Amino acid sequence: MATAAARLQQARRLPGVEGVWVFIAADMAMFGLLFVSFMLERQKNLALFEHSRHTLDANFGGINTLILLTSSWFVVLAVDAAKRNRVQRVAPCLAAAMICGFAFTVSKALEYADKLRSGISMLTNDFYMYYFALTGIHLLHVAAGCVVLAVLWKRARAGTYNSAQCVGLECGASYWHMVDLLWILLFPLLYLLR
Amino acid sequence: MKPETYSTDYTMWRLLAWCGPIFMTVFFFMWGVFAGNLPPAGADLDAAQITAHYLNNGMAIRIGMSVCMVGSAFYMAWGCAVSKVMRRIEGPDGILSNLEMMGATITCAPLLVACGIWLTASIEAPQLPPAIIHMMYWLGWMIIDIAYMVTTFQIFAVGIVFLRDQREKPLMPAWISWWGFVTCAAFFPVSLIPFFKTGPFAFHGLFNFWIAFFTWYIWVTAVSFNIIRAISRLQQEDGAASPSAAQQRAGVLITG
Repeated sequence: MATAAARLQQARRLPGVEGVWVFIAADMAMFGLLFVSFMLERQKNLALFEHSRHTLDANFGGINTLILLTSSWFVVLAVDAAKRNRVQRVAPCLAAAMICGFAFTVSKALEYADKLRSGISMLTNDFYMYYFALTGIHLLHVAAGCVVLAVLWKRARAGTYNSAQCVGLECGASYWHMVDLLWILLFPLLYLLR
Repeated sequence: MKPETYSTDYTMWRLLAWCGPIFMTVFFFMWGVFAGNLPPAGADLDAAQITAHYLNNGMAIRIGMSVCMVGSAFYMAWGCAVSKVMRRIEGPDGILSNLEMMGATITCAPLLVACGIWLTASIEAPQLPPAIIHMMYWLGWMIIDIAYMVTTFQIFAVGIVFLRDQREKPLMPAWISWWGFVTCAAFFPVSLIPFFKTGPFAFHGLFNFWIAFFTWYIWVTAVSFNIIRAISRLQQEDGAASPSAAQQRAGVLITG
């Protein structure tokens, strides 16, 4: 009975430490406010926002979504490997996730360069202000996430993470999933919303 | 040559820790409420409107900015108390407590300079051309806002050290360290203020004023009150570890 209760409690615990969830909740709330602000501004100037949206390349957005989803999948595999004590598999999965993060950064840089070459900047109009600012802030999160993944990868190579010790890995994974989730919200908001 | 044992003056630590709430109170009421920065006049106002703002609120801005120039030094003093508590966690060779103290000290510089510029603008508004007053208004905002990286280093150092605290009940609740990281994240979009006069990224906007400033305000307030508690706990730890040492720390200077 006591063992079952303990198991249930273990099954229900938050991944990582509680503090990382404070960070995730607050960070997502800030993005949430920006999303609301974008929607309110869009209502005021629907034609401009709709016209500007059509100049974005949805292929770039789609590819970036796939890249981040793949990276999240690798992070899930890394956590799973640690929990199953397949210690040798953790580092390669984290490396693959990190490479996806770099790929996202390169793809975003190409997209920005394309816009700037076309004479579009964040000063062009309110839509592009939101486009560059929101995706730019998100890109900073991706860059920070790559640093986190690099630290986790280095520790994983030293065999740090296993079923008994994976709180740090869970914290990093939770953050990376938040970065992924934010993009999943940003992509339809900026590229697809009609 | 006989050994000397110096006392740890926890009363002084506490006094410096209370400088945090004093700083927050002074800035909130004198800079925010009294001088009319809650909300700010706005990045979208033209030179004539900004000059009118200074002419209409000249005395309030003059008093508010004068008090804030004095009050900003309390942030530095508070930073010393935080640094001392951090040193107890990371040891004498720790570098992050130094980074925190430097960050707190240098954070005073943009506060002092910006308030000094706004103070001068309030005094000179009747004589100077509106374009100059407008320039001074913007200059103050650029300095107070885009110096955020100094404070970011301070907040980052505090967060890392208190998360490393190995005590069963840490001196600082973990959520405050994580809230500090949120504050750091909220600061970076402030770099966008030179580009916008309206919207969430203008210096008076939703993100770069209301979110960036208030996440920091909450962080300073939360750290302040927990540092005051942490000092009492450190004093108790000293007493529990060695009652005689505690007596000495309480003020007996053994010179023999």
